[in-house]
Amino acid sequence: MSAILETKNLDKFFRDPVDFQALKKVNIAVERGEFISIVGSSGSGKSTLLYVLSTLDTDYEGHIYLAGEDLSVKTKNELAEIRNEKIGFVFQFHYLLPEFTVLDNVMLPALKLGKYSDAEIRKRALEKLGMLGLVDQADKKASRLSGGQQQRVAIARALINDPDIIFGDEPTGNLDSKNAQLVFDIFRELKEKYNQTIMVVTHDMNLAAQTDRTIRLHDGEVVASELIV
Amino acid sequence: MSFFKSPSFRIAMTHLLSKKRQTIVAMLGVTFGIAIFIFQAGLMSGFQTMFIEQTVNTSANIRIYNDVQGERPSLLDRFHDDGKTWNVVRNQKPEVEDPKLKNGKQLMDIISRHPDVAGVSPFIGSQAIFKLGIAQISGRVSGVEIEKENAIFSVEKYMIEGDLRKLETTPNGIILGEGLAMKLGAKVGDNMFVVSPKGIGLDLKVVGIHKSGIVELDNSRAYINIRNAQKLLNVDGSYITDLNIKLKDINKAKPLSVYFQEKFGYTAQDWESANANIFSVFKIQNMVTYLIIASILIVSGFGIFNILMMIIYEKLPDIAILKATGFKDKDIRTIFLTESLVIGILGGLLGLAVGYALQQIVGHIKMDVRGFVAMEYLQFNSSPAFFVFAYMFGLLATALAGYIPARKASKVDAIDIIRSK
Ligand SMILES: Nc1ncnc2c1ncn2[C@@H]1O[C@H](COP(=O)(O)OP(=O)(O)OP(=O)(O)O)[C@@H](O)[C@H]1O
Ligand SMILES: [Mg+2]
Repeated sequence: MSAILETKNLDKFFRDPVDFQALKKVNIAVERGEFISIVGSSGSGKSTLLYVLSTLDTDYEGHIYLAGEDLSVKTKNELAEIRNEKIGFVFQFHYLLPEFTVLDNVMLPALKLGKYSDAEIRKRALEKLGMLGLVDQADKKASRLSGGQQQRVAIARALINDPDIIFGDEPTGNLDSKNAQLVFDIFRELKEKYNQTIMVVTHDMNLAAQTDRTIRLHDGEVVASELIV
Repeated sequence: MSFFKSPSFRIAMTHLLSKKRQTIVAMLGVTFGIAIFIFQAGLMSGFQTMFIEQTVNTSANIRIYNDVQGERPSLLDRFHDDGKTWNVVRNQKPEVEDPKLKNGKQLMDIISRHPDVAGVSPFIGSQAIFKLGIAQISGRVSGVEIEKENAIFSVEKYMIEGDLRKLETTPNGIILGEGLAMKLGAKVGDNMFVVSPKGIGLDLKVVGIHKSGIVELDNSRAYINIRNAQKLLNVDGSYITDLNIKLKDINKAKPLSVYFQEKFGYTAQDWESANANIFSVFKIQNMVTYLIIASILIVSGFGIFNILMMIIYEKLPDIAILKATGFKDKDIRTIFLTESLVIGILGGLLGLAVGYALQQIVGHIKMDVRGFVAMEYLQFNSSPAFFVFAYMFGLLATALAGYIPARKASKVDAIDIIRSK
């Protein structure tokens, strides 16, 4: 089985304020349907790695392959399309558009993609919201929801275009332990039921322990990639 | 999918609605700019059009005359010009002293047969002193064949009293300019006395009052029959000083004047050169007006710039997530350009309405302006083309004002935003 996401000798340098290597020869491979956590101390390069992998940051050396495609040769616009169609994001902050309804927020990336009709997109968005127990909130303004609900809406939005992989940068960082557990349960379910590939940065070792595999970073290097049994 | 249903458009509208007050202020800025445009430039352009129309109606398309003021090299220059000495000849007599057009009648026949010519009117101009009772005013008499003159200058249209044909049918009629008549206290039917510089006087009877609308003319000019003018100047019946020509196509005035001048050896002046001073005043006027309007629109532009920068600053997280979820730089740019254009389109439409209303209101106030030209009401340019032009101008200003913020928004680095949250 070939990897859905693979890196070859990924290096990342920051030149400002001083020359600093944030990622050092990172070689990882992620199988489809894997639920992976990235851990490491603060400043070890977890976010940096996630931004590079998710094509938001294009200033790196080495290669990244998503579903076999070399991302390092793509133009900015091609990468935008790839993010739209194949990558889902969940950040620490929910980044919902506050004036739009929950349903609109979830539909937005699909409207941008334009693969389905508006009616179809609506139906799919409601499905995703249903999976996350949020159908009754669909017509509320996003800004009216609780933090835990907002984060689940963000997950629904990440799922709307059936991405190859979902990246989460401390998606539970702003949540209490109950809501954090709920989010991880959802990820777990997505992986089990829909074979969704998920890669999440976390500081919480209890949560990391619930993933299939943990990648540990130290000073920009992968120091361990342990399978959890 | 139509643009109005696209996420970009919906996002743009949401942004504007989330800042209603500032949006309205920015819109009113555009409204103000366009309204001033419509009012100010409309007034100027209306005035200039009217002035040009009146000029075209009251001055010949081409005037042929004998220019006695022409400089000529002195005899001394002709025989002693070694480049080392200055030749000074003072008070040189003009070569031609009499502005007579020789063979004027024949010239007239030739010119009136030219296919581009609609009509020719012979003319004798002279200074004169008008006397009525104790009033005594100097001015100019125009000796004309009134039918021909009327064909060219629509004299009849501008008669406010009396009958212009009486100039032909009575032996000693005179038609006074409105201002001149007023100064003399003359009314139709009054007898008056006209004296030429040659000292010859004629008893004339006022048969009409004429108002061309060009104040200077109306204050000083009187029409008399060309024969009477010849009597005043003590010249024979073939004597004329000018030929005034009306063309079928006024735009041919310049080339034809050059042609006539070469062909006949007399000065031929087209109406535009004759009024060159005024046209250059118009040019400066237009420049100043459009500068003022441009500065108003620049200020309106700042309003738009300002509100967009505010929105962008506030919506940085939105921009970051839109970019993360696949919106391209150009999509982001479209969102903010749309915002500026919505402000421009709506503010501009309102500006057109306000400008039109201003034109209507001010255009219906009786002004009785007496300057350059006399008019009762201000004349505005209210042609659709002018409104379209003003609107386009406004939209252009809006688009320019929106472009810089929109570009800035499109260049926002999503990672910078996400890291700082
Ligand atoms: N834009 C930048 N310019 C310079 N250095 C940077 C920049 N962004 C990150 N770094 C540095 O790169 C290193 C890795 O940062 P990163 O944010 O990836 O750490 P992290 O593992 O996500 O930490 P945390 O757990 O605190 O979120 C840090 O030393 C950080 O200071
Ligand atoms: Mg981090």
